[in-house]
Amino acid sequence: MEIVVLVKRVPDSEAQVQVKPDGSGVTVEERYGMNFFDSLAVEEALRIKEKFGGRVTAISLGPSQSVEVLRTAIAMGVDDAILLEEEALLGGDEYATARALAAAVKTLPYDLVLCGREAFDDSSGVVGPVVAQFLGIPSVTMVTKVEVEPEQRKVKVEREAEGGRELIEAPLPALLTAQKGLNEPRVPPVMGVVKAMKAQIKKLDLGSLGLGPEEVGQKGAKLEVLRYIEPPKRRAVKYIKGEPPEMVKELIELLKTEAKAL
Amino acid sequence: MDFRLTEEQEFFRKTIAETVDRLIVPKAEEIDEKDEFPWDLWREFAKLGYMGLRYPEEYGGMGADKVTCMIFYEEITRGSVGFAQSVIMNMLMGTHFIYRFGTDEMKQRCLIPAIRGEKIGTICFTEDQSGSDLAATRTTAVRDGDHWVINGTKQWITNGPICDFATVVATTDPSKGLKGLNFFLVEKGTPGFSHGQVIKKMGCRGTITGELIFEDVRIPAENLLGEEVGKGVQYLGEILDEIRVMTGAMALGIARAAFDEALEYARKRVAFGNPIGRYQLIRAKFADMATEMDAARLLIWRAAWMIDQGIPCTKEAIMAKMFATEVCQKVVDEATRIYGANGMALEYAPQRHFRDARFLLYGGGTHEVLRDYLGRLIIGKV
Repeated sequence: MEIVVLVKRVPDSEAQVQVKPDGSGVTVEERYGMNFFDSLAVEEALRIKEKFGGRVTAISLGPSQSVEVLRTAIAMGVDDAILLEEEALLGGDEYATARALAAAVKTLPYDLVLCGREAFDDSSGVVGPVVAQFLGIPSVTMVTKVEVEPEQRKVKVEREAEGGRELIEAPLPALLTAQKGLNEPRVPPVMGVVKAMKAQIKKLDLGSLGLGPEEVGQKGAKLEVLRYIEPPKRRAVKYIKGEPPEMVKELIELLKTEAKAL
Repeated sequence: MDFRLTEEQEFFRKTIAETVDRLIVPKAEEIDEKDEFPWDLWREFAKLGYMGLRYPEEYGGMGADKVTCMIFYEEITRGSVGFAQSVIMNMLMGTHFIYRFGTDEMKQRCLIPAIRGEKIGTICFTEDQSGSDLAATRTTAVRDGDHWVINGTKQWITNGPICDFATVVATTDPSKGLKGLNFFLVEKGTPGFSHGQVIKKMGCRGTITGELIFEDVRIPAENLLGEEVGKGVQYLGEILDEIRVMTGAMALGIARAAFDEALEYARKRVAFGNPIGRYQLIRAKFADMATEMDAARLLIWRAAWMIDQGIPCTKEAIMAKMFATEVCQKVVDEATRIYGANGMALEYAPQRHFRDARFLLYGGGTHEVLRDYLGRLIIGKV
C-alpha cells in the first residue's frame, strides 16, 4: 500500500488568537503544531502500513516552519516527507491549495490519500474532497473506521451521520478524511525523534508540480476573505435577586426580552 | 555568540513537551496522592526509549548532547517530579558507572535492560552520618581473594527498595577519607543485599526512597567499577557537573509547572470584577517569575553547553543548580499566593509543587555546602 497523508501546521488549540483592528487578518500566539485531525490520518496510515507493508509519505503546504509538522510525522513513523513552501503557493483558498496538493500527490504512486476532516484554524473541511476531485478519485469524509482490502483494490469505511453511521465501500485509490474516534495517535518514540531530527525534507517547487504561478496560491484563488469579525464578548452574568416568586417572574421576562429564548 | 537552540534541539523540546503533556501530566496528581511507584506509566514511557538519551546508539540510546538532556530533565520534571526522579536516577547516576567501567556482560545484564526500562538502577551515596560529607562514608569493601565483601547501610536511596542493581559507594580504606572511596556493582539476589525502611516524604512522592542494607555481600572482583582502587571520587568528578546542572533543570521543571498553572489561573480567576491578571501586583509577580526562570534556564544551558564543549564548569554548574533551585522555591511560593486560599487546597496543584520544590534544596548537594564551596572557589586560598 502506497499511502499519502496531507498534514497542516495550525495554531495550538490553546494559542491566543486575535482579530487585527482593521479586520484584515488575525494575529496568532507563537504556538503551533500538527492539526489534530491530520494526526489521526497519520496514525491510520501507519497502522495500514504496519498491516500490509508499503510506504507512507506526508505532504504539507505552508510557510517554511511547516517543516516541523513533517518532522512530527516522521517521528511517528512516516517514511518520507514533502514540503510545499514556495511563496507563490501560499495564501490561496481551498481550491488553489487543493490544486497544489493534488499536483504533489500526483508525483507519487498512491493507493490511498488520507487527511484530517478539517484544519483547526479555518475549519472549512473542503481541501480533502477537492484534492480528490483534482485527482479524479472518490472521497469519503469524516471516517471513523477504515478497513483496506488491497487484493480486492477496495476500502470499506464507516462514517458518522447524524449520530448514526454509514458503511461505505470505495474502490482504490480513494481519499479519506479522518474524524475524531478513528484512532488514538501514537506518541513518537525517541528513535523516531532522532530520525526526524536528521531527516532531509524534500521540497517541491512550482516547476516540478507542473503548475503555473497563476494557478496556485493567492493568484489561483477563486475566493477572497473580505473581513474577519471578532467573536462577541460574553456578557456579564446577571444575578436576579429577591423572593423566588418574583425571581421566576423576572427570569421569564428576561428570557423573553433579553435572551429572546422564549 | 548564539543563544538559539539548534533546529534539532527545538524539535526535540517540542516533541518531549507534547509527550509529557499527554502521558505524564494527567497522572501527576494521582502519583502524588498514592505515593506508589507508577509501574504502568514506567512501562509505557520506557517503550519510547528516552531512558537511553545520554548513552550511545549501540546500547539503544541516542547519544544526545547535554543541552538536549537538560531540556528533557526540565520537561519530564514539569510533568511529575516523583516520576522524573525515578527515571533520571535510572538513566543517569544509576547506570553511568556501569556504562563507564562495566564489563560487556554487565552492560548486557544491567545497562541495556535499564535503558529499556526492564530493570531499575540506582546509586547509593548517603548514610546516616554522611550525605554531602562523603568522606564520612562508613560502608566498607574488603578484598577477599577474587571477591569484595561489602558491609554497611545506605539511606535515602532513590529507587532503592525497587532496584534491580545498585552502584554502591564504599570505602576500601577508612583512613584515607575521600581517597578510599570506590564504586561497586551489587545486583538484586546477591546474598546479604536487602532493603529496609521506605521513607514517607512530603514531596517527590511516587519515587520510592529508602534504605539498602549490605551484610557480608560477596561480589566478584570485577564488580569494582573503575580501573584502579581509590579513584572513586575522581570518577564521580567526571559527572558531578552534569548531576548538578541536571538538578537545576529539575528545579526549573517544577517552577514551570507551577508558573503555567498560575498563569492560567490569573487569566481566569475574577476578583473585583476583573481577571486578577489585570492587577499590577499580580502582573509584577509574573514579570519577576518569568525573568528569573529565564535567567535560570540560561545558566543551565550555558553549563550544559560547557560540558558539551569540554570546558571545565564546576563553578557554572553550581551556580546553575543553586540559582534554579532558589528561583523554584520563589515561584512555587508565588504560585500558591496567586491561587489565594485555593493555594492551600489539596484539590489544586500549587500545594503539590510547593512540597516538591523542597527536595531539590538537598538533592545534588545542600545549598549551605555548595554555597560555601563556590565561595571558596571564587576567593581562593586566603
